[in-house]
Amino acid sequence: MPENALVEGLDLDQYKYDFRTVDKPVFRTEPGLSEDVVRAISAHKEEPEWMLEFRLKAYRLYLKKPMPTWGADLSDLESVLDQIYYYVRPQDRMKNNWEDVPDNIKNTFEKLGIPEAEQKVLAGVGAQYESEMVYHSLKKEWDEQGVIFDSIEDGLKNHPDVFQKYFASVIPPADNKFAALNSAVWSGGSFVYVPPGVNLDTPLQAYFRVNQERMGQFERTLIIIDEGAQAHYIEGCTAPIYSTESFHSGVIEIVVAKNARFRYTTIQNWSNNMYNLVTQRALVNERATMEWLDGNLGSKATMKYPSCYLVGEGAHGSILSIAYAGDGQHQDTGGKVVHAAPHTTSSIVSKSISKGTGRATYRGLCKVYEGSTSARSNVECDALLINDTARSDTYPYIEIEEQSANVGHEATVSKVGDEQLFYLMSRGMSKDEAMALIVRGFIEPIAKQLPLEYAVELNRLIEMEMEGSVG
Amino acid sequence: MAEAVADRRGQAEDTLATGNLNGLAVTRLGEGEPDWLAQRRLHAWKVYETTPMPTERMEEWRYTDLAQRLPLDQLHLPSAVPLIDDPATWPEPLKHTMRDDPDSSGHIVLLGGNVVHADIQPSLASRGVVLTSLRKAVEEHPELLKEHLATQAVPPEEGKLQALNAALWTDGVFLYVPRGVRLESPVRVTRWVSGAGTAYFTRTLIVAEPASQVSYVDEVLSEDLDSHTFTSTSVEVIARDSARVQYVAVQRLGRGVFYQSAQSTLADRDSTLDTLNVSLGGTTTRVDLNARLLGPGANSNMLGLYFGDGDQHFDHNTSQDHLAPATRSDLLYKGALDGGSHSVFRGIIRVAKRAQQTDAYQTNRNLVLSQGARADSLPKLEIEADDVRCSHGATVGQLDEEALFYLMSRGISRDQAERLVVLGFLGEVLQRLPLGGVVEKVTRAIESKLRTGAHA
Repeated sequence: MPENALVEGLDLDQYKYDFRTVDKPVFRTEPGLSEDVVRAISAHKEEPEWMLEFRLKAYRLYLKKPMPTWGADLSDLESVLDQIYYYVRPQDRMKNNWEDVPDNIKNTFEKLGIPEAEQKVLAGVGAQYESEMVYHSLKKEWDEQGVIFDSIEDGLKNHPDVFQKYFASVIPPADNKFAALNSAVWSGGSFVYVPPGVNLDTPLQAYFRVNQERMGQFERTLIIIDEGAQAHYIEGCTAPIYSTESFHSGVIEIVVAKNARFRYTTIQNWSNNMYNLVTQRALVNERATMEWLDGNLGSKATMKYPSCYLVGEGAHGSILSIAYAGDGQHQDTGGKVVHAAPHTTSSIVSKSISKGTGRATYRGLCKVYEGSTSARSNVECDALLINDTARSDTYPYIEIEEQSANVGHEATVSKVGDEQLFYLMSRGMSKDEAMALIVRGFIEPIAKQLPLEYAVELNRLIEMEMEGSVG
Repeated sequence: MAEAVADRRGQAEDTLATGNLNGLAVTRLGEGEPDWLAQRRLHAWKVYETTPMPTERMEEWRYTDLAQRLPLDQLHLPSAVPLIDDPATWPEPLKHTMRDDPDSSGHIVLLGGNVVHADIQPSLASRGVVLTSLRKAVEEHPELLKEHLATQAVPPEEGKLQALNAALWTDGVFLYVPRGVRLESPVRVTRWVSGAGTAYFTRTLIVAEPASQVSYVDEVLSEDLDSHTFTSTSVEVIARDSARVQYVAVQRLGRGVFYQSAQSTLADRDSTLDTLNVSLGGTTTRVDLNARLLGPGANSNMLGLYFGDGDQHFDHNTSQDHLAPATRSDLLYKGALDGGSHSVFRGIIRVAKRAQQTDAYQTNRNLVLSQGARADSLPKLEIEADDVRCSHGATVGQLDEEALFYLMSRGISRDQAERLVVLGFLGEVLQRLPLGGVVEKVTRAIESKLRTGAHA
């Protein structure tokens, strides 16, 4: 079989989360966005007045800000945004007991393996369905230590002081057009607080599911890791495939206090009709560590650049990013590290794989402000191109205002080498086994950072993508 | 082969003497010129007028505030007093730097916006090599100019400043090397800029026919000028199949000058087209270099060196366009920033779908020598072919303490050790394109900057 035919055979129509659940939401706003929709969302959530005003102000900002043109192709997005549902409430109120979740929703998450995972490895689980968290639970031992793991709405209701202090402090609505949109219509997401010194040694997980067609999901997450505490938060996302486009735009704000340590892992596996435009940022204080582990496998177009603002002396930020762009997909991802204090260190490692007509773009920023003495940063980007219709771009921005800073950036782009393939095949492997092995080796530095279950899942996904070349 | 310039423009002169950068000047410049050229100027002016002025909101100008650095409405075109080819009247620094040049195949001297002197070895002239002013070439080689001048390499559509240059250029250099002719020594061009508040527009066109070989060194100098002065140049270099061309630009202007150079190199099959940009002087430097690899086997080495102090601002914007299979490019730009200087390096490698078996490399390294200095680096890749080897790297750092310590332990003072390390760092670029005269001159210029700089 000629190699091209073999490569063509690596098709992508194997998305295993493509199943729809038939249900009837309790409430949804009319399609499209207006001030009335913003007011309706706020009213449904019985919010305090300041939050309604915050939303309305953000809505006006959103209207004023132009559509970004520098990243993924968003030329069709305006019409998508006119047609989607901005708020869909799937059930009356959030449940803390799995048995109480309506059957159809429960079945959905069971198919995705969520309750199973909870029992095994997780400290707590949140599940969002359409616009609302339908389920949230935290193991008792952590609850007793003062850990808060709630829906964002309950965070606002039950912890108003902490909430108001930090909400929109890391990512103000004016940050970018989609942060403004999220600020206007946010719904769902998690509120996490880990008290000083508490070491949450198993992860918290939030799972995001979009089920309905033409859905807009706008989750908002606020995470505060207090002094000397440690935690790991994992989010996963899936949706069924529709012929129309859906839209997901989250805002994730994180504060890592002095000496604390936090890791945020994303396994984004939206269906290929999803626009995924997310703003994620962490404020990292004195000697604290923030780690982003960002896996982007799904969606039609993703624009997402997890950021670390290193504002305390000795803070460390790390971003591990892996992107897979298959047919018709554009992963415009990367990371930002901003050094604003002395002795801060950071590292970005990005690996991307482009296949078919996929396009993977690394876009990153390393900024060192004057006065951030002895700041150090290292950025490495590697791109793998599986065939000649795929595309890879690298757009790093390096801005250095500090004399004592040391910053390096390196990137390579290559294809799977014929020699590598030949070597493995001469050892008895089929061509696509060899291909999968090489790709697995390529992403290994990132996969090995994942909790075992996710690493296995990631490897399985890669194998699935490389399948079809058999024969 | 002396030539007097500026006496062919007739009545345009008095207007130009007091004129501004406007449509009238474009029309006046076109008077007495062949119709095709006058039309090209008018077209370029139209492009200029319809192209928005670059602002920091545009990606390509993100770090250079053009409106603030270049008050175009306050500048005027040079007065066109007839200039006579008389070395006795040339400024001393110009004569001095020419004396430092070793061997050469020919010379061009420009004062302000006009060529005042051109010579070429008779043996080369007899083999068809042309080295002359662009004005003269318009009359003597109209077909070559019609084909290449502001058409492919740097057309007005490239940008606002490129359009302005194509409309308002007063003179420049034309170099033509026929098939198979190899020039053993470099062609040397020396420019002197003097009038404060003046905007000089010149162009360079180099056509190297198949299997020919030529090196070209262009050096520009001035004293410190107290008000804004603008020197704009568009450089078009064409290397036909298997030709070998080296283009070197050395910028040693005084403070107060805005140096803008839009360069484009077109490399055909199996040709090698190397460039070196040395930026040492001026207040603002903006170099746009686009290397196009058009034929299989084409190869381009792209070198750059900048060293800033005081309030100097350097913006180098490069692109490596691989448009044919089995092409190669390798870029190395290195800079040192002292005082409150600021450098921007923005480079992109673009590999087209059909450009398989491409090797493309890009490296930018910066030394930040003082607390007020700043270095921005944006090395980019856009790859649409899969069978490629591409990499890029960028670093920003400070002097290597271990190297300093080593030298100091040998009894060298810290100041001296620092100078040596900076020289060694920047010298790597010169070693890759070691043209006689250039290495010595640039090394001396760096040394003198290191001595007088705030750093030492």
